[in-house]
Amino acid sequence: MSRLRSIRFRRGRKKHRETELQLTSMMDVLVIILVFLLKSYSTSTNNFTTLPGLKLPISGSQDLPPDSLHLIITPEGMTFENERIVEFELNSASLGSDASYSIRKVDLAEDARQITPLYDALVKARDRAELLRAKSKARDDGGNPLPFDGVLAIQADKRVHYDTIRKIMYTAATAGYKVFRLLALKRET
Amino acid sequence: MFKRPSTRRRNSTTEVQLNLVPMLDALVTLIGFLLFSMSFLSLVHIETPKPEVSPENVQQQLEEKPLQLTVSIREKETEIWSPFEKLQPKTLPHTAEGLPDTKAIHEALIEVKRSFINENKVVFVPAANTSYDILIAVMDSLRNLEPTDPPLFRENPQTGIEEPVKQLFPEVIFGNLLGET
Repeated sequence: MSRLRSIRFRRGRKKHRETELQLTSMMDVLVIILVFLLKSYSTSTNNFTTLPGLKLPISGSQDLPPDSLHLIITPEGMTFENERIVEFELNSASLGSDASYSIRKVDLAEDARQITPLYDALVKARDRAELLRAKSKARDDGGNPLPFDGVLAIQADKRVHYDTIRKIMYTAATAGYKVFRLLALKRET
Repeated sequence: MFKRPSTRRRNSTTEVQLNLVPMLDALVTLIGFLLFSMSFLSLVHIETPKPEVSPENVQQQLEEKPLQLTVSIREKETEIWSPFEKLQPKTLPHTAEGLPDTKAIHEALIEVKRSFINENKVVFVPAANTSYDILIAVMDSLRNLEPTDPPLFRENPQTGIEEPVKQLFPEVIFGNLLGET
């Protein structure tokens, strides 16, 4: 019995030998990945999202958009700050490559130049921004709260017509927005 | 010949093993953070201000008669013109696909820039049915200078040195925002 135990013990001792993982090669790979990620890490401060199926045009512009209020237009509707505010009326052709849509008449005002739900959302967003600025400690030289910057980023599907974009810009202008940023995908050089 | 056992020099080179596990932890955390916060959508923007219209401005413009370079996209053609007739109007037909000829527009605007080197504004008047990708393509041709374009130089008024022009007409303003096409 003691002889058998002794043999088993010896076998067990062989099996429990400490194996060391070679981490150096893994470290090499991770460092390379880290350098690549740091190099391609965008320094822009925007958090623009996109919608599934949105086809953006490509632009040769080099200007990275700073963070601002954000409107997405697709042939199906408008999304302002991740909230769907307008649904378009779709025609049968909209299922194909050509977007055929129209804004509902109940959503239009001022001789069909202004989109009412968008106007309401923009005014609400402006009021909220002004309130936040009033509460903020940041002040201009005269001690007044910083003025509302009035910037609206417009991210439209490539099939959306200028007629719709013009209505959006007109609506935003009447709601106190002064600058429009038309977003596109960066052309790879 | 042989040394005594006590005087034999023993090699005391012991293998030092670096503990890489904490470093590995830090790297994995960093990679995870970078992957999470990374933007895979590379977006750029073209900025355009809201057009300001006031009776004073109109009166001032009527007196000064600036260039007010205007690019109008119509159903079958693009026209480059100036409302104060500072420029010979140029009409460029659309391509065979019925789209604005962005290359021809760009070349025509380079010639305009040559004559009005300090001008930076352009009024853009697209047709109502112009799609957003055509809008961006035309705005690119109005604003950007490509490396293949002929070089343009402008004198810096402060230094008196001629400097290369980096952009064509970077300030694009929509001319028909108030309704009429």
